[in-house]
Amino acid sequence: MKPAPFKYLAAGGVEEAIAALAEHGDEAKVLAGGQSLVPMMNLRLATPAVLVDVNRVAELSGIAANGSLELGATTRQADAERSAAVAARAPLLAEALRHVGHPGTRVRGTLGGSAAHADPAAEIPAVLLALGAELVVHGPEGERTIPADDFFVSTFTTALGPDELLTRIRLPSNGDAWGFAEVARSHGDFALAGAAVAGARIVLFGVADRPLRAREAEDALSGGATPVEAARLAAAAIDPTGDAFTSAAYRRDVAAVVVRRALEQAAAR
Amino acid sequence: MSRPEQYVGARLPRFEDHRFLTGRGRFVDDLEFPGMLHAAFYRSPFGHARIGSVDVERARALPGVAAVVTGGDLRDFPPFSTGLPRPEVRANERRVLPVDRVRFAGEAVVAVAASSRYVAEDACALIEVDWEPLDAIVDADASLAPGAQLLHEASGSNSFAHIELEHGDVERAFAEAAHVFTKRFHHGRMHAAPLEPRGIVAQFEPGTGTFTMWTSSQIPHLTRSLLAHMLGLTFENQLRVIAPDVGGGFGQKVHLFPEDAVVPYLARQTGRPVKWIEDRYENLAASTHAKEVVIDLELATDADGRFLALRGRYVGDAGAYANYPWTPLVDPLCAAVMMPGLYDVPAARFEIDAAYTNKCPTGAYRGVGWTSGQTAREALVDDVAREFGVDPMELRLRNTIPPEPYVSATGCKYDGGSYAEAQRKTMELVGYEAFRERQAELRGHGRYVGVGFSPFVEPVGWSGDMAKRMGFPFDYLDSARVSVEPDGSVTVALGMHSHGQGHETSLAQLVADRLGVRIESVRIVEGDTADTAYGTGTWGSRTAIVGGGALIRAAGEVREKLVAFAAHALEASAEDIELHDGNAFVKGSPDRSISVTMIAYTAYFGAFVGGSRPPDLEDPALTSTRSYQPPESYANGCVAVVLEVDAETGKVELERVVAVDDCGTILNPAIVEGQIAGGIAQGLGGALWEELPYDEDGQFLAGTLLDFSYPTAMDVPPIEIAHLVTPSPVTEGGIKGVGEGGTIAAPAAVVNAVADALAPFGVRIDRTPLTPSYVLGLIRAAKSS
Amino acid sequence: MTHGAIVEGEVVVRLTVNGEERRGIAEPRTLLSDFLRHELGLTGTHVGCEQGACGACTVRLDGVPVRSCLLFAVQAEGASIATVEGLATGGELHPIQRAFSSEHGLQCGYCTPGLLLTAQALLEENADPSELAIREALSGNVCRCTGYVGVVASVMEAARLLREAT
Repeated sequence: MKPAPFKYLAAGGVEEAIAALAEHGDEAKVLAGGQSLVPMMNLRLATPAVLVDVNRVAELSGIAANGSLELGATTRQADAERSAAVAARAPLLAEALRHVGHPGTRVRGTLGGSAAHADPAAEIPAVLLALGAELVVHGPEGERTIPADDFFVSTFTTALGPDELLTRIRLPSNGDAWGFAEVARSHGDFALAGAAVAGARIVLFGVADRPLRAREAEDALSGGATPVEAARLAAAAIDPTGDAFTSAAYRRDVAAVVVRRALEQAAAR
Repeated sequence: MSRPEQYVGARLPRFEDHRFLTGRGRFVDDLEFPGMLHAAFYRSPFGHARIGSVDVERARALPGVAAVVTGGDLRDFPPFSTGLPRPEVRANERRVLPVDRVRFAGEAVVAVAASSRYVAEDACALIEVDWEPLDAIVDADASLAPGAQLLHEASGSNSFAHIELEHGDVERAFAEAAHVFTKRFHHGRMHAAPLEPRGIVAQFEPGTGTFTMWTSSQIPHLTRSLLAHMLGLTFENQLRVIAPDVGGGFGQKVHLFPEDAVVPYLARQTGRPVKWIEDRYENLAASTHAKEVVIDLELATDADGRFLALRGRYVGDAGAYANYPWTPLVDPLCAAVMMPGLYDVPAARFEIDAAYTNKCPTGAYRGVGWTSGQTAREALVDDVAREFGVDPMELRLRNTIPPEPYVSATGCKYDGGSYAEAQRKTMELVGYEAFRERQAELRGHGRYVGVGFSPFVEPVGWSGDMAKRMGFPFDYLDSARVSVEPDGSVTVALGMHSHGQGHETSLAQLVADRLGVRIESVRIVEGDTADTAYGTGTWGSRTAIVGGGALIRAAGEVREKLVAFAAHALEASAEDIELHDGNAFVKGSPDRSISVTMIAYTAYFGAFVGGSRPPDLEDPALTSTRSYQPPESYANGCVAVVLEVDAETGKVELERVVAVDDCGTILNPAIVEGQIAGGIAQGLGGALWEELPYDEDGQFLAGTLLDFSYPTAMDVPPIEIAHLVTPSPVTEGGIKGVGEGGTIAAPAAVVNAVADALAPFGVRIDRTPLTPSYVLGLIRAAKSS
Repeated sequence: MTHGAIVEGEVVVRLTVNGEERRGIAEPRTLLSDFLRHELGLTGTHVGCEQGACGACTVRLDGVPVRSCLLFAVQAEGASIATVEGLATGGELHPIQRAFSSEHGLQCGYCTPGLLLTAQALLEENADPSELAIREALSGNVCRCTGYVGVVASVMEAARLLREAT
C-alpha cells in the first residue's frame, strides 16, 4: 500500500520543528525513526498532511552521562542498546531494547519516537516508567519536564501537546536492582504481557491502554511481601482486554508470572 | 574443470544463483514498459454485504486515472466456474468483479488503472459504495447447519460437495473392536504467504489481437488455457503467458484469481500495458487461505492396540468461493483419502464436506489436506499410546506397513518405501532413549520437555493417476522438449515452473547424464508458453518425477540419435557407443571418439563440416518432445520435534527438528534438503504462530504482518536432515518427489511434542495453532479437572 | 531540494548509490524502495510488505542496514546507499555471495538481497559470529523458502572466507 500525499519538512532545528507543529496542528506528525509511523502511513491508517522530519536535528541526538543519563529523543534504539553509558547506568533499558522489534528496526527506531508513539505493548515506555524517567519537552512556550508517571496517558496518547516536541529523556542515576520479563507469541513479536522492575517500581505493559505502575504490589513489596505475593497483587489490579488472538484471562495469568520473574531477577542481583 | 562422475546425486551449486545473488532476477514488478499504467483495487470492507450504488465519478476524474471498471461494467464477462466431473459436486461461479454482493472482506470490487500505484490508490479512496451489511457465516459447521443462510443460492447448498467412501466392513470392525478411540481436531487456517506477492503485467497488441501476460505464477500453460477464452480470444494461442522469476508460490500461485482477468481487460480497454502488484494486505486477505478443516476421527483397535478400522468426517472451510480451478476439496478430500497414513488398517470410511463461509477462499498450499489429516491422525495415535500406556513409537511400529508396495484402505497404491526404517532412523537421530532420561530428570525440576514424531507418506508427482485416486477426475499433459543445438549445447524446454526449486540445475543434472554432455552446456527453459512444451506447472511435488520422467523419455530419444551418428562416424555398432563428458566413444577404445559438438554439426550441416548422416536414420533432427503421466507414487519419511513448554506461560520453545526423508532417486541432495527444511519451517509456523481469525461479522483480523507472523531465524530451530533412498519401482528413473513432506508432517510432530511435554498434566490437544494462550488454557483445564 | 523548505509535489533527489552519484524525481511520499527500483532502475531491492516487517527491502544507508520501505526518498537526499547490485565488484562475486551459493542459502531469491546486505553488516562488526548471533542479526529478514538452515550455513561460510582473506 502507498501513503496518501503529504508535504515534507526536514527540520534543521528544534524551533523550526515546533513552529511547523504549531502552524499545522493536528495535520502534522513528527517523523523520527519511522518504524511505527511509516507502516501506518503506508496502510493509510495515518494520513498526516505535513510530515516534520526531525532526523537531522542535531540537538535531539546524543547520549550524555553527567549526574543523570540524558538521551536525545532521536537516539537510535540500537545505539542505546550498545551504549556503555546505558549499560552502566540503565541496564534495564539495555536489556529491554533487545526485545524491541528486530535488529533491522532498531537501527532506525528511536527512543523518543517509541515514547511518543505510546503503544501500550511497547517495552520502552514501560522501562521509562519503571526508571522514573523525566521527559523533556519543547513547545512554543519553551521547555518543560514531564515525569514518566504523567507522560503515558492512553493508547497512542501522551501528555505531549499538539505543538510540542519531545527532545530529551532524562534517567535519574540509580544503581537499583532491576528485572525484565515479557511473553510474546514469537521472537520480536509485540508483548502479550511484560514487566519491568527497577528498585521499588514495578511496571506492567501489554495489559492495559498504557504501561501501569503496580502500586499495590509495590507497597506490598516494600512491606516485605514475596515476589509471588506481589505478583498476585499486580495481576489482581489490572483489567486487561482480550482480542481474537489472546484472551483477557491469559493476559492476567501471565501478568502475574512476568512480574514474579522480573522481581526474582531483581532479587538475584 | 572437475566434475562428478555422474551429475545426478551430486550436491552441485545452482546455476540460477548468480542472478539472484547479484540482484538481477526478473520478477514481475521488475518489468517496465513504456506507457505502462498501474492498477489498484477498491476492496470490500465488509465480510458479507449487498452492493447498492457504486459511485466512481470522483475516482474517474482524478488526474492520472485512465480507467475505472466496476462489476456492472463487466456484467457480461464470463465468470470463473469451478467444478469437477463427479456427481457430488455443485459447480460454483465467481464473477470477476461482483455486481450485487460481496462475500468476504477484501474482495475486489472496483478496478482502477492510473499513472502510478500511488495515484490508483488515491482514486480508490474516492470511490463510494452504498453498502448493506449482511449477517456473516464464519464457521463451517454453522454453514452446514439446517436453515443456515445460503451463501450461493444457485448451488442450493452451502457445501461444494458431500463425498463418501467406504472400504471393508467398517461397521463390524467398530462393533467388534476391543477399543474405540475418538478425536475431534480443528486444524487451524494457514497462509502460503510467499515473500513475493502475486503480480501481473498485461499487454494487448491491437495489431495482432493478441495478449501477452507476465504473471508470478506456478502454472503458465494452465493460466493460458483457462484464461484465453475468458478474455474473449477466439483461440488460446492468441494469449502468451510468461511466468518470469517467481518469488515463492507454495501452491498459492496455482490458482486463477479475478485480478488475472481484470488486469488484461484493463490493458485492452486502455490500450496500454497495465501492471498490478499485490500488496501484503491484499495477499493476506484476498488471495487464498488453506488447511482449515474440522476432523472427527475414530480408530478401532484390538486389545493389543492393532489398528482395525478408521472412520473420519472431514469438514473443510471453503471460504467465500470455490478457488479456481482446483476446488475447495483439496483440503478435506485429500485429508480423507490419506486417512490411514502408513498404518496397516484394513477398513476405512470417510465422509467430507467443503462448506462456504464469508472468509477468504481456501485453496492449495503445500501439502494441501494431507497436513490436517496427518495432524489429526498422528495426534490420535499418540493419545491412543498414552491410553494404552505404551511407547508411541512402539505402537506405531507395531502397526506400520511393510516396505513393499501396499494398497491402503482408501485405495492408495503405495509403491514401497522405508516406512518403518525412517521412523527408527529418526528415533536414532533424536537420541530417543537419552531424551526420555533427560525428560524424566527435567520433570523432577518442574521443566517440561517433549518429543513428538510424525511419520508420513507423501503423495507425490500429482498427475492423472494420483488426481483420480485423490478424488479429482483429471488427466494432465506434461511434456518436455530436449534439443541439441548445432554446437552440441542442449536446450530443454518444459512446462514446469521453478519458484525456488532449482530446476535450472537439478533437471540439467538429469539431462546432462542422459546425453553424456557437460552440464554447463545444458540450458533449462521454463515459463514462456510461446517457448516451452506444454505442462501443468510446478506444485504437488511433481517436477522431478513428472518433468523428470518426460525429460528421461525425450532425452532417451535424442540419445539414440547421438549414438546412431557416433556409430556411423566411428564405424562401430550402436551397442558399443558410450557418451560421457561431451564425447561419444567406443567402449574400451577411448581414442575412437567423436565430440557431441561434431555430431551435432554433422546432424545439422553434414557435408559442410566433413561429416555424413547415417543413411538409415529417418530424421536427423536432434530433438524430441515427450510427455509423461506417472502412476501413483508416494514418498515417505518421519519428522520429529524436540521442544520445551513453559508451563506458566504456555510458550513453546523449539529445540531441534529431525527429519528423515525418502524421495526415491535424488537428483540434488542440497536442493532436496532445502525443500525439506523450508516445508518444515512453514509447518512449524502453522503449528505455533500463524493465525488468520475473523470476527463474527467476517472482519479479517490478520491483515498485516503484525498479526500474521512469519517464522524468523530466531523461531525456527536447527533442522537436521537424513536421507533414505527407496527408488520407486514404477516411475521413470525411480524418482519420487519431494517438497511437501515437511509441511505435511511438521505440525503433527509439534502437536505430539507439546502433548508429550505436558503428559504429566494429561492434556489433549484438539487444534492448531498452539498459541501460548491455548496451551496455558489446556494446562489450567487439566489441573482443575 | 534544500533543507528547511517545505516540500510539496515532485522534487529532484540527489544521492550516492553504490559509489555512483545518482539523481531522480520523487514526491515526498515516494518510498525509497520505489525510488531505487523504479526511478533508478535498481530492481535488486525487493518489496515484500511495505510494513517494515519482512526485511526484503533492506539497503545500507550510510552503512546501516535499513528498511527502504519505511524511508521516503526525500529523506535520503545526500546520503550514500548501498544496494545488492554493489556487492559484486568487477564481475567478481563478493565472498558472501559465493558462500550463499556454495551453502545453498537461497531458493527463490526474493529475500536474498536484503539478507546479503544484513549479513555483510553483521560480518563487518563480528568476524566470527556464533550461530545464535547470526540468527539474531538476521531475525528481521524473513525467508519463506529455506527454513534458514542454508542461510545460517552460508553466513558461517562467508565469515570463514572473509577471515581467510585478511
